[in-house]
Amino acid sequence: MLKYTIRRLLLLIPTLFVVLLVTFALAHAAPGGPWDKDESKKQTQSIINNLNAKYGLDKPLPEQFGLYVWNAMHGDFGVSLTYRDRLVTDIIGDAWPISARLGVQAILLAVAISIPLGVISALKQNTLVDSGSLLFATAGTSIPSFVLAIFAIYIFSVNLRWFPASGWAGGDLSHLVMPTVLLAIGSSAFLTRITRASMLEAIRQDYVRTARAKGLKEQVVVVTHVLRNALIPVVTVLGPATAFVITGTFFIEYIFSIPGLGRFFINSILARDYPMILAIYLLFALVISVANLTVDLAYGLLDPRIKVSR
Amino acid sequence: MATITASQQRALDMNVITRKQRSLWMDAADRLRRNKAAMAGLFVILGFALVAIFADLRVGPLHIQLAPYDPTCYFYLNGHTACGGDVVGARSGPPTANPFWGANADPRFLLGTDQIGRDILSRLMFSARISMVIGFVPVVLYFLIGGTIGLAAGYYGGWIDNLLMRFTDIVYAFPDLLLLIIIMATIRNTWIGDIMGGLFLMFIALSIVNWVGMARLVRGQVLSLREKEFVEAARSIGAGPVRIMTRHLLPNSLAPVIVSMAFSVPLAIFAEASLSFLGIGIKPPTPSWGVMINEGFVVFTGTPSMVLLPAACIALVMLAFTFLGDGLRDALDPRMKL
Repeated sequence: MLKYTIRRLLLLIPTLFVVLLVTFALAHAAPGGPWDKDESKKQTQSIINNLNAKYGLDKPLPEQFGLYVWNAMHGDFGVSLTYRDRLVTDIIGDAWPISARLGVQAILLAVAISIPLGVISALKQNTLVDSGSLLFATAGTSIPSFVLAIFAIYIFSVNLRWFPASGWAGGDLSHLVMPTVLLAIGSSAFLTRITRASMLEAIRQDYVRTARAKGLKEQVVVVTHVLRNALIPVVTVLGPATAFVITGTFFIEYIFSIPGLGRFFINSILARDYPMILAIYLLFALVISVANLTVDLAYGLLDPRIKVSR
Repeated sequence: MATITASQQRALDMNVITRKQRSLWMDAADRLRRNKAAMAGLFVILGFALVAIFADLRVGPLHIQLAPYDPTCYFYLNGHTACGGDVVGARSGPPTANPFWGANADPRFLLGTDQIGRDILSRLMFSARISMVIGFVPVVLYFLIGGTIGLAAGYYGGWIDNLLMRFTDIVYAFPDLLLLIIIMATIRNTWIGDIMGGLFLMFIALSIVNWVGMARLVRGQVLSLREKEFVEAARSIGAGPVRIMTRHLLPNSLAPVIVSMAFSVPLAIFAEASLSFLGIGIKPPTPSWGVMINEGFVVFTGTPSMVLLPAACIALVMLAFTFLGDGLRDALDPRMKL
């Protein structure tokens, strides 16, 4: 187990390196640079040359990349080329906690909704409850979150005036409700489907029939025999669900004008703010890889039949 | 009891049991036809497809135009009109005409106009074109690229297989949307991004991100089929690798491939709508539902219909494709469950 964990942690290094390399290549392959934002305020070539020299963009690309990786390993991610008085780490340090809080809340909410819903819907298969939750699961996975958010804002903010339509206000509760719920819907719908399918499979197993035949109470059968086995596959999809929530934050933050990392993400690519692009992709890749790793390790612990170390 | 036809009677007389020949595919089609949600989805999709085709169709002398106006024409309040041109991005301000249920409605524009006087109904109809094209074209590309490489990797193994697996590792380290976003946002302002209002670049970006999944699926299928008796039989009568791949391996791995393609269609529509909504997908003035939401969002609280109408179209199409995909999966492989 320890060996496996260490090996997986070491595998993170090449993965992150490849992510950085691909991002760097794509960002620099694109035409345009960080200094030609505005047609009307075109800088003269000598100014651009000076700026390039100051930020090290005049060096050959492989050298730039090598330098970036070297500095990044020492915790120096450079200065943002858009907000030139701010370090990339400072900007991310301000914005990331907001996105992360939103994401963590959404995942917790998604788990809290989807597992009971999936379990109930499997136990009451082919009833009204089941088809209701299936409809929720289908709609939630297929309709984009920003489309759902539009309807939610129209109903709950514009007409009923229950929640504010936008803003963050330092994470005040009324501003939190709608973004969190909408971010959670997609992954909770997905998790509901998985929970239901996995419960249905577990219910039909022989050991469940045996437990019933022994005369165990239905609750005991469901909780200790069905649920424990059915939830294992559910844990495995928490990794992809994390990735789903992270990408979902861009849209939710955009719609609700939340000052998280999503805003910087798109803008930094459009503005060719290379240090920001690289740092943000590195952060996302790291979070997703760590989520997947945690899930894989948890999987091994939960199910002794799975041998993680190949 | 049903009446017996003459031929069946004859067969009975001859003591032969007749049964209409049924292929696997016919059984699947029957199962699909019995699935109400899937059929409803199919009809919704057909409806949108017809609107997309006939929004403005010219074939020789024939000219069918369902959309009342050109979606890029501006109808100014002073009676002037102008077409084309690049009025980029969102503008605040009220629409020049509200939809028919609102005050200040204009009978010429059933669903109203946007802030710069373009007919919403026409824009919605032309947007259906983008969604249908973006739904189907990239999926065919995934199938051609991913299917070929998957077949080769599964059948031959070796370096093709290794290369595929390494490539998969890279693509899997990126969440789909992150890779799509960086490709779209960086290449959008080049000449490639200008072809067909950005559609062409979307095809390429979607194919780069998604062919790997198809290749892995086909590879897995081929690996499990490769050692089956019927393949061995084909090989023993002298069938070459190409014949084995196209005549035996591909048809037998088709069911999961079709299911995967059916689910890829709404995902591609999802991606286009999402990226256009963020302003890095289809290029204005070309209309798409995502672009319309992006442009209408600044005046959302004032004129919600400008955003709600395209949002409803996206929701409807996505649901329809998902129901159809679910139905296809249940019909083609009743064992596959999710």
